[in-house]
Amino acid sequence: MLEVQALTIRAGRTTLVSDLSFDLADGRLTCLIGPSGCGKSSVVKWLAGVLAPELRAQGSAYIDGNLQTLPQRDIAYQPQQDTLFPWLTIVENACLGLEVRGHQKRAAREKVRSLFHDFGLNGHEDSFPDQLSGGMRQRAAFLRTIVQEARVLLLDEPFSALDAVTRLRMQDWLIDRLSDRPRSVLMVTHDLYEATQMADHVLVMAGNPGRICADIPITIPRADRNEATLANIRSSLKSMLLKDTP
Amino acid sequence: MVYFRNIFPALLLTCVFIAGWEGYVALSDASPLVLPAPRDVLNGLWVERSAIGKHAVATLSVATLGFSLSVTFAFLVSILLHFSGWLRRGMMPLLVASQTVPIVALAPLMVLWFGFGLLPKVLLVILVTFFPMVVSLMAGYASMPRAFRDQLVSMGASKWAVYRRATLPSARAHFFAGLNISATYAIVATIFAEYAGARRGLGIYILSAKNNFRADLVLSAVLVSAVLTLAFLTLIRGIERATGNRFRRDTDA
Repeated sequence: MLEVQALTIRAGRTTLVSDLSFDLADGRLTCLIGPSGCGKSSVVKWLAGVLAPELRAQGSAYIDGNLQTLPQRDIAYQPQQDTLFPWLTIVENACLGLEVRGHQKRAAREKVRSLFHDFGLNGHEDSFPDQLSGGMRQRAAFLRTIVQEARVLLLDEPFSALDAVTRLRMQDWLIDRLSDRPRSVLMVTHDLYEATQMADHVLVMAGNPGRICADIPITIPRADRNEATLANIRSSLKSMLLKDTP
Repeated sequence: MVYFRNIFPALLLTCVFIAGWEGYVALSDASPLVLPAPRDVLNGLWVERSAIGKHAVATLSVATLGFSLSVTFAFLVSILLHFSGWLRRGMMPLLVASQTVPIVALAPLMVLWFGFGLLPKVLLVILVTFFPMVVSLMAGYASMPRAFRDQLVSMGASKWAVYRRATLPSARAHFFAGLNISATYAIVATIFAEYAGARRGLGIYILSAKNNFRADLVLSAVLVSAVLTLAFLTLIRGIERATGNRFRRDTDA
């Protein structure tokens, strides 16, 4: 289990995030939603160990009760853009995390190639990122993140650059991939429909300064989630978000 | 066909220039001691081909050695500057200042300090060609999208791994731009160094032809130096193309 305790992030004298604490249960997908500028991405970047240099953070992260130094091997991060390196093929991009973590090139390639089918990338091993559609690029980025076998995945608005149809398909696809390989996921999103459709837990952040104002479990099985069954949760989430948005 | 379309404007303008020059010399009755016609320059080049060839080889050797050392040195310095902010802040003004020293003043001083051998010429080539490459590399390093760095750091990459896997590849286009600029200076800098003092090389050949009032041979040597510079540039373009298939892609991260 990942626990974040008393996280405060400052930009000079301005407090962006104040005294934030939450935990992520093993094998659960938690969505972090909130108005723009409330510090969602900063929280995720801090956990990934890549907080912008102009920001200062205080706080602690624990995995299974042990204090962690960030960045941490048990935590994998996927930013908003797919950040595939344009000069590397898809298979080389997908191997990047493994190679950086010390895997032999050959072993990394074998491991990655074995997952190409599951990630819908068959036949594109030697393609370059600019030869792929937006959805395929995102799947390649997911492959690079998931293959690292980290216990915690941090996904910062992973679908924000996709069109509406691709986004819906990718949401279902990601849930399937995560059910193959369960792990703790913290996913930042602006979209409360996306959050309620995918998450086991929704953490709602309010702004000025950023803080968690609600922790809502979604107990409805995913197969039964639809407009009707999620209506109440979405309505209460919507009113929380609107209350905090000027 | 595409290749021909690319070089056609340059060929046409060169022909127009040579025809204009030839016509002007014929019509103006200019003395060949002052302005020889292009055919006199080519004739001089043919007659003196053996001597000019030997001097050209000497110039090319010095330029190649100096330029190769300069590229290596530029890489090493760029790495030092990239990893040490203190050094970057300290050295960049000095590097800029080094470029304000006129080569005309520096070349004789180099000969005075280091003699007529290889060293002063190589040093001068390094001094002239090194700066554009370092500046280009530093600009290339800075052009790396921050998201690439973040991605690697989050994976636990060391600073060196970030440099090797993302910073250096991101700087490739900038590096070759700097290399092209530097390559155009390499032959000129060598000739300048030879002009200030040498036993062999196009610089000393030009000086001796000038002293003998052989403008046709001066221009023949200039023509050879231009061809050498173009050969340098063509080689660099060839290397860039041969190694760059995977780099001719978008970097929209």
